[in-house]
Formats: sequence, C-alpha cells, structure tokens
Amino acid sequence: MKISLEWLADYVALPGTADALADALTAGGTEVVGRMTRGDVPDKVVVAQILSSEQHPNADRLSVCQVDDGSGQPRQIVCGAKNYRVGDKVPLALPGAVLGPDFKIKSGKLRGVASEGMMCSAKELALADDAEGLMILPADSTVGRPVRELFPPNTLLELEVTPNRPDMLGYLGVARELSALTGAALTGNAASSPPLPPVATAEPGRINIEDAGCAFYSARIIRGVKIGPSPAWLADRLAAVGLRPINNVVDVTNYVLMETGQPLHAFDLAKLSGGIVVRAARDGETLHGLDGITRQLRPHDLVIADQSGAVALAGVMGGAETGVEPSTVDLLLESAWFEPSRVRRTSRELGCTTDSSYRFERRVNPEGVLAASARATGLILETAGGTPEAGVFVAGELPREEREIALDYGHCRDLLGLEIGDEEIDAILVRLGLERKDRGTWRIPAFRPDLTRAVDLIEEVIRVAGIERVPSRLRGFPAAASLADLRHDRAEVLRSRLRAQGFSEARTSHFVSAEALAEAGVPAAGAVAIRNPLGADQAFLRPVLRAGLLGAMAHNFRHGARSVRLFELGQVFSTEGREECTALGLIASGEARAASWKEAGTPADFHDLKGVLECVLGPLAFDASDGGGLAMRVSGESGVQGTIQRLPKTLAQDHEARSPVYYAELIVGPWLELVSGDVRVRNLPKFPAVERDLSIVLPRGVPYADIEAALRRVRVPHLETFALKDVFTDAFGEALPADRRALTVALTFRDASRTLTSDEIDRAVETLRDHAKAELGADFRA
Amino acid sequence: MREELNVLRGEALRDIASATDSPALDRVRVAYVGRAGRLTNAGEQMRHLAKEERPEIGKLLHEVRQAVSAALEERTAALQSAAEEAELAGVDPTLPGVARAVGSMHPLQVLQRRAVEIFRRMGFALAEGPDIETEWHCFDALNTPEDHPARNEQDTFYLPDGRLLRTHTSSVQIRTMEGQAPPVRIISPGAAYRRDEVDATHLAQFTQMEGLYVDEGVTLGDLKGTLEFFFRELFGPDTSVRFRPHFFPFTEPSYELDVRAAALGGGTRWLELAGCGMVDPAVFEQINARRGDRAFDPDKVTGFAFGFGLERLAMILYGVPDIRMFVENDQRFLSQFAP
Repeated sequence: MKISLEWLADYVALPGTADALADALTAGGTEVVGRMTRGDVPDKVVVAQILSSEQHPNADRLSVCQVDDGSGQPRQIVCGAKNYRVGDKVPLALPGAVLGPDFKIKSGKLRGVASEGMMCSAKELALADDAEGLMILPADSTVGRPVRELFPPNTLLELEVTPNRPDMLGYLGVARELSALTGAALTGNAASSPPLPPVATAEPGRINIEDAGCAFYSARIIRGVKIGPSPAWLADRLAAVGLRPINNVVDVTNYVLMETGQPLHAFDLAKLSGGIVVRAARDGETLHGLDGITRQLRPHDLVIADQSGAVALAGVMGGAETGVEPSTVDLLLESAWFEPSRVRRTSRELGCTTDSSYRFERRVNPEGVLAASARATGLILETAGGTPEAGVFVAGELPREEREIALDYGHCRDLLGLEIGDEEIDAILVRLGLERKDRGTWRIPAFRPDLTRAVDLIEEVIRVAGIERVPSRLRGFPAAASLADLRHDRAEVLRSRLRAQGFSEARTSHFVSAEALAEAGVPAAGAVAIRNPLGADQAFLRPVLRAGLLGAMAHNFRHGARSVRLFELGQVFSTEGREECTALGLIASGEARAASWKEAGTPADFHDLKGVLECVLGPLAFDASDGGGLAMRVSGESGVQGTIQRLPKTLAQDHEARSPVYYAELIVGPWLELVSGDVRVRNLPKFPAVERDLSIVLPRGVPYADIEAALRRVRVPHLETFALKDVFTDAFGEALPADRRALTVALTFRDASRTLTSDEIDRAVETLRDHAKAELGADFRA
Repeated sequence: MREELNVLRGEALRDIASATDSPALDRVRVAYVGRAGRLTNAGEQMRHLAKEERPEIGKLLHEVRQAVSAALEERTAALQSAAEEAELAGVDPTLPGVARAVGSMHPLQVLQRRAVEIFRRMGFALAEGPDIETEWHCFDALNTPEDHPARNEQDTFYLPDGRLLRTHTSSVQIRTMEGQAPPVRIISPGAAYRRDEVDATHLAQFTQMEGLYVDEGVTLGDLKGTLEFFFRELFGPDTSVRFRPHFFPFTEPSYELDVRAAALGGGTRWLELAGCGMVDPAVFEQINARRGDRAFDPDKVTGFAFGFGLERLAMILYGVPDIRMFVENDQRFLSQFAP
C-alpha cells in the first residue's frame, strides 16, 4: 500500500524524518519497500502569467507567448500546449532549471523563434503521474514566486502489509501503529471519531440479506447532491497515492477507504429500482462493471441486486449502470461487512482484485463500518452538498469481535528469552490499544482480528520492544546421526569419487515435458503428471534423469564443448513401485581423457563408463540386456540397479553430439543407505607371489565373461588373483587367424605359509589350460 | 724406485683427468689398479727391494695408491654427474604439468555442503521428506488456512490425486515431528516447487534449507544465536544479521532475516535471506492430534524454525547473474566450482 506522509500527518504527529518513520515501520514488521518524493519541484521554476499568445510563424502546432515572470521584463516562450488562456498563471522553468537527469532548460530558438524557457505540465514537474497540457496554477498565485513553495515536497512510502494486519490498510491504522511503535501522539480523526448517526432498522423490502456471505449491510440516503470535480486537496491526495480523481462523490468514497480501510460504494438512487437485495448470483446472471467489463457470474458470487438484477459484485466492484454520474442527484451510500472468503473467491476466480476486495478479503473492522459511512456522509456534504436522511438503514448483524486473552507473563519471558518486566509488557499492550481487564487478561480491540491467542500477544510485546534486546544464545546437545545423515555422507563420497573420474555434477530440472521424454527415448507411461503445469515443460515429474542430462549435454555441445562428462544424483518419480527414488545418471561423450602435449587423448567408450561405475559403486554385475544395441543391465549386491549403454546414433545427433554418447543410469538409494562395517585389516603376506600369464585363443565371438566364468569354476590351489591383461587380434591373420582372439590373463599364486615351487605353479596353470581346452575348446599362445 | 713411483703417480693422475667418459675411466682404472695394473705391479716389486729401503718406499707406495684411488673416485663422481646433467638437458621443466582433469561440484552442492557442515557443528542432524506431499503436511499442519493464497492452483503444483509438490521444505518439520518426540534438532536441504514463471530470478523448482529445533526451554534467543552463528560462519565474522518482524502462518513471532556482509556485494545493503520464527503452538497441536499423544505439548516445549533458499544465497555469494545458470549445467560455469 502506498501512503503519503502529507496525508498521514492528519492523523499522527509524524515522528522525525521520513527515514526514521520508515525504519520504525520496518522494525515493527511492516516493511517499507519503496520510497519516492513527489512535488520536489526544481529551483528556477517560477509562477508566470501569460500576457499574450500568437501563432508561431513557422509551425502550426506551436504558439509564441509573452509571459510575466515577475522580473518586470516580458519574456518570450514558444509553447506547444493548447489548454491555457491568456491571463492564466502557469509554472515557468527559467534557463538553468534542471527538470531531469538530462533535461536542463536553455535559451534557444524553436523553429526560428527565440524561446527563453519552458512552461511546464504537472507531469514535467513530477507533480502528477500523467497530465496533459500546461499546469494551470490558482489565479491568486504570486507571479515570480518559486513553484516549490506552492507545492512542498511530499514523501510517499510503499508499505508491504502482511496478511495478518488488515488494520494497516488504512491511514488510521498506520497512524495507530506508528503511535504504538514510537509513542507519537494521535491527532484528528485518529484521536476522536465523528459521532455516529442514529441507526434505523430497514423496513422489510428495503434491504434484504438473503445470503450468509453478507453479515451486515447499511445504506445512507443523501439527496440533492451536485456532482462535480473534487476540490484540489481531495483530488491531490488521491492522485498522490495513485488513485485517479473521478468526481466529488466517488472520490470521497475512495478517500474514506484510504483513511479507514472500510470500502464504500455510492449508487445513483434514481437508477435503483426497488429495495436492495444481497444474494447469490443467479445462473446466467451478468454484471457490467465500472471498469467496462461484463462478467458472467456464478452462484457462489455474492451480488447486490435491485428488482432488475445485479447492480454490484459485493465487496469487489460496482455496476456501471447504477454508478454516480454528473447527472446524479440522490445517492445511496453503501457500507457493509462481507465474509472475507466469499469476496476472496469471487475476486480471485474473476481475476478482479480491487482496493475494495483487497480489504474485504483481509477482514474489515466491524466497528468501522458505520463510522466510515458517517465520515463519508460528512465529506459528501462538504464537497457535493445535499441533505442526508436522518438515519442509516441497516440489515443484519455486525460480527462481534470482542475477545479477551489471558497472558502468562512468565511464559512470555521464557519464550522470548528476555527479562522484560510486567510493567513494560503492560505499557506496550496499552499502547497497542489493548485494554487491561485484570492482571494478565486483555481485551482486544476490534481492529486487531489477528490477536487471538496468548502467543499473539507475546509477538506484539517483542515487536514493540525489539528483538535486538533479546540476548543471543547458543547451546547444543549432541544429535544422533539419522538415516538422512548417512545418505548425505554416502552421497558426498559418491560425488567425490565421480569428480575424481572427471565427471562434473549437474542439477537438472525435476520437471520434464512429454516432448523431452520422447526425444530422450523414455516412455511417459509411469511418469507422475502435474495437474496444473504452467507450461508443457512442467507436464511431468521426471521418471529418469536421462532427458535432463541429454539436455545438459546438448547445451554444452551447442556452446562449443569438445566433450561432455556429467553426472547427476537426484530424485526421480514414478507412479509404479516406489514413488520417489534417488538415481545416479552419467553421461559421457567425446574425450574421456583430454590429449596433452605428452599423450594422445582417449575417447570415452563403453568400458570407460563401465569402469567408472565399478570404481565409484564397488563390484557390480553386468548382464546382457534384451534391448539390442550396446547395452547391459547393471546390478550390485547393495541393491543398485540400472543400465549402461551406448545411446543410438540418432539420439546422440539429436542432442548435438558428434561422438558416440555413453549413458548409465542406476537407482542408488540402497547404496546410499548401506552401512559399511568397519574395515578388518588382513595381515600382509609374508611370502612372495608368483606371476604367470596365460594366453587363451578362442573364436572372436566368445565373450570374455564366458571365459572368465569357465576359468573361475576350476578349483586351482593358491590362485590369488585373476586379471585380463591383454586382448589381441590380427585382422591380417598373420600372428593369429583373423577370426580368433587372444586373451592374456595375468594369474598370481601365493601361499600364506611358504614359498611356492615352480612345479606346483606349472601344475596349477596346466589345470587351468586343460579346463579351458575341455570346456571352451581353447588354444593357447606362448 | 722412488723416481718410478713419482712418475707413475704423475702419469696416473694425468690419465684419470683426461678420461672423458666412464668406459675411458674404467680403462684407466684397469691400467693402474687392475690385476695387472702398473700400480699393482709396483707393489709386487716391493719384494725385490733392500730391507732398509722398504719402509720408505712402502710409505710412498701407499701415498701414491691413496692419491690415485681418490682421483679415480672423484673423477667417477664428476663423470656421473656430467652424464646426469646431459640426460636432464633434454627435459624442459617449464612444459606444463599433465594430469587427469577432475570434475567439478555443482555450486548449489558446494553451498549446501558448507551449510550442512556448519549446522552439524551446532548439533543438528539431517532429515528428509518427500517432494510429493499431502496438503496436510504442506499446509494444514503448518497452520495455513484452507483459503490461503499459497494453496491455490495458481501458486502450487498439484497432482491429479490431490496431492501437491511441496511449496517449501517446512513439510519436513511436520514429517520429523510425526516420527520423533522432542528434543528435535534437524536441518533439511531439498527441492521446493512454486508455480512461478521462470525468469532470471525465479525457477519453478528451487532448493531450500529448512531447520527446526524443539525442546523444553527453547527461546527466541536461541533462534537469534543459532542463525547469527550460521551466517557469521558462512560469510565471515564481520557479518551483521537483522531480524525484521514478519508474518508466517506457522511461526509466532515470525521474522525475516536480513544479512549485511562484505562477502555479499561489498556489504553496502541489507539482503533478505531467510524466514524464521518460534513454532506456532497451533502447529504443535496439529502434530499432537496426528500422533495421538502430547509429546509436543505447547505448555511444555517450545521451538524455532527457519528456512532459506540456496539459489538466492548462491547467486549473491558467487555473483551468479541469472538463476537459470544453476539448471543449464554449462561445464564452463560448473568448472569454476572445482573442489
């Protein structure tokens, strides 16, 4: 909410500077999020009277004026405005005046005619947000007087009012708050409200409330008003806070809304037929609003109606047909109390938030409903004349906000951790307008609906006393590690291992579009759908990391990367099985190891990625996958499972990759929760190992896994390790037939208690050879 | 004999000095001190000397032997070091080092890890909760009224079954208290979702860090002390922390926390970084009703809660101009966060 300090000063003795005031409000919980100064008219802008005006000889749209600037010498000004008459007084910027950062007034020629300054609009002097034509000053302004003396600068503050403080949506409330926070004295209407008029219960038929969405409705009849422009003080105050002046009656209702926080509406009585009915909208009913928009209403919308139909959307906006116009003579002034949730639903669903709905939604002060009506009536008489009928017609009951709250002062001190005396607590609550019934029991004023429990009073105490007074305290007790701690620590281990393998961590969006899933070759079935996505990008929660990582890869290649090596550790979502799982995705394309001056680079390939997986997750089983292509299923004893594959070329190309793309994705939740027992150290061997190589020759098509499995089935004494050392083929068939492959395995043998003899080892190797020959039909190379 | 030995010494020392590589020096060694070397032969001839000459010549012979072997040793060392020099002359030590590139951390992970470390030092344990939440855990239990603006379809992502994507990690407070009686002292980093248009400062999915401490006698002073300590650890000892009263449905009193520190854009202005407050008794009562006990009796226990967004913090701390860079995963960006 924007407030003007010039206006606020009507209700409270402003404490100190605008800065001090802004700081006090912010420290009290109403943040001042913006500040601007209006009417800071620059120097060298003076009141001038137009003495004559003639057509510019060379320009149709310009005129040449002689003006009196108070110097005794007429001054010639070329002017483009048309809204003045000779004899008007206007602001004149003299040469040297600075109207903006790059706007300094100079003497010069306009289309060949000398001009010694510029006559200004209100906008050019920052006295209005928009204004066309010259600003016409009051006829009694003294020629030559600096204009800034006529318009003292006014500071505007933009307040961020929290939803629990509806009382802060009017000047009276802001004044009360400032008074409570700083001790400043309340003045004017804030100190004493005008007397309320007598209330007459409306006769049947005059006001009927047919819907619980309206608790209370009041109507004041004022006859014989003269509609016209508002006086300057009223128009200026509204304009200052961004409200467009319309006419005296409408402006008064807006003025009182700003002052009290109670929205009002004025109907042209002549345009209403029959009594007022507050009811739910009928099916198919429409309302042509004051904003010119016709809205289709639904049965949950609350309307004000007459015999002919809806005339206003209750608490939101009046109808155009029954609004106040220049021809209006008699008024019906509405002041009511509507159910916040009803107004909120209508304003939200119709996309129509107004100053009125904003306040009703946040709950207006029931005790202010009739006071606002009386205040507006007084101002209408003052600005538009007319005669009010003696009483206010009312229907319904105002909600009763009477509340008493018991406060335990000891608990207050305990919760705050602040030694604050009973007397000080009492003084703070009294300043906030609370009334002490007896020790510790407080009556809450109707304008503070947010205070309902003792803890709310404690908040008030510390809000006014200031949290700065609370001594900071740090104390700890040990917290036992949780499963989440374990998962965090294991995830950090995994991350550091992956970084050591040259993979950088990516974080991609948890949302994914159907299109991205299709492009990544992932079926959308089983993906968790979002009911109300903001766009197609958010249609689903990702069922896998793949689409996101492919997108990240494409981004990098598009921006000139030579290779991509990324991993992501994050949540994936599914409608089947576990809803949320932690997955690890790895993507590699281009170089696994970059070339240097010393060595050639090595390209990423299937075995590179396979090695990384085993290195970071420990022993894994790789099994044939039924999908075709270069792909394997991966699983581990810890429960991890997933796939590793070379992605199809078309998929790679669609994602900007020029080299093959290798991808692995595994569910790693179980791995993260694995409690690895403490290491038990093995004794270091006392006797040396003996190494032997075995070169096995088999047809190329025999997978290594079969060979290893066959050899591992043999029980060979003392065999300690078994590792593939070399793979050899010869396309020319010279060293080896072209359809064969030689696999060299390095074997080590050891006995814990003695040095092995060469004979023993020869026998062991022989056993392996015999077995390979018998089972696989293998040959051997020396 | 004396004459001969002196000549022998002169010749040996000259030959040693003129040997220019190890094989040449080896030949000199053989020629003088080898089995049939000249100096060895000279020793043999001692037998033929008169008895009275022997002591004197013997002494001289010893001196010559010493001199020759010292010269040989010295020359050997000189030649070895010359050879090593020659070998190293081919190595350019100014060529750049060669190593396998390691990967980088994600900046949000860097920050998250730091934050977790600081809170762990204060005795906080980690906690987790699902991203897909019930309305009860995300709103009702957190004292957020049925028609609160945040619950609306415009601001919150819903699933077809009526559940939602949590709008804040505060739902983990609820999950934790459901399963654990006081004392509770947890932090929970995780994803949160809001239906915002994505732009330079907004993502529809972002990262928050939640904190909760519930026990007997927890005060507003504990909240102050904890968060002041955290932000001073994170941004340095010159950090100022300001608590500005605010409103959240689930805390009372509630504060927004502003920080000013040299590490944050020079420390010229207050930056709003976190929301916090004392847990509202209504939240405890929701938990009690769910648990079916009085473990969180608001007359017995009090607590504080806080939350902050990691992206915003990281943007300010690392000078990241656009929040979307966190999800773009440009390796040129990520590599700046190598560990």
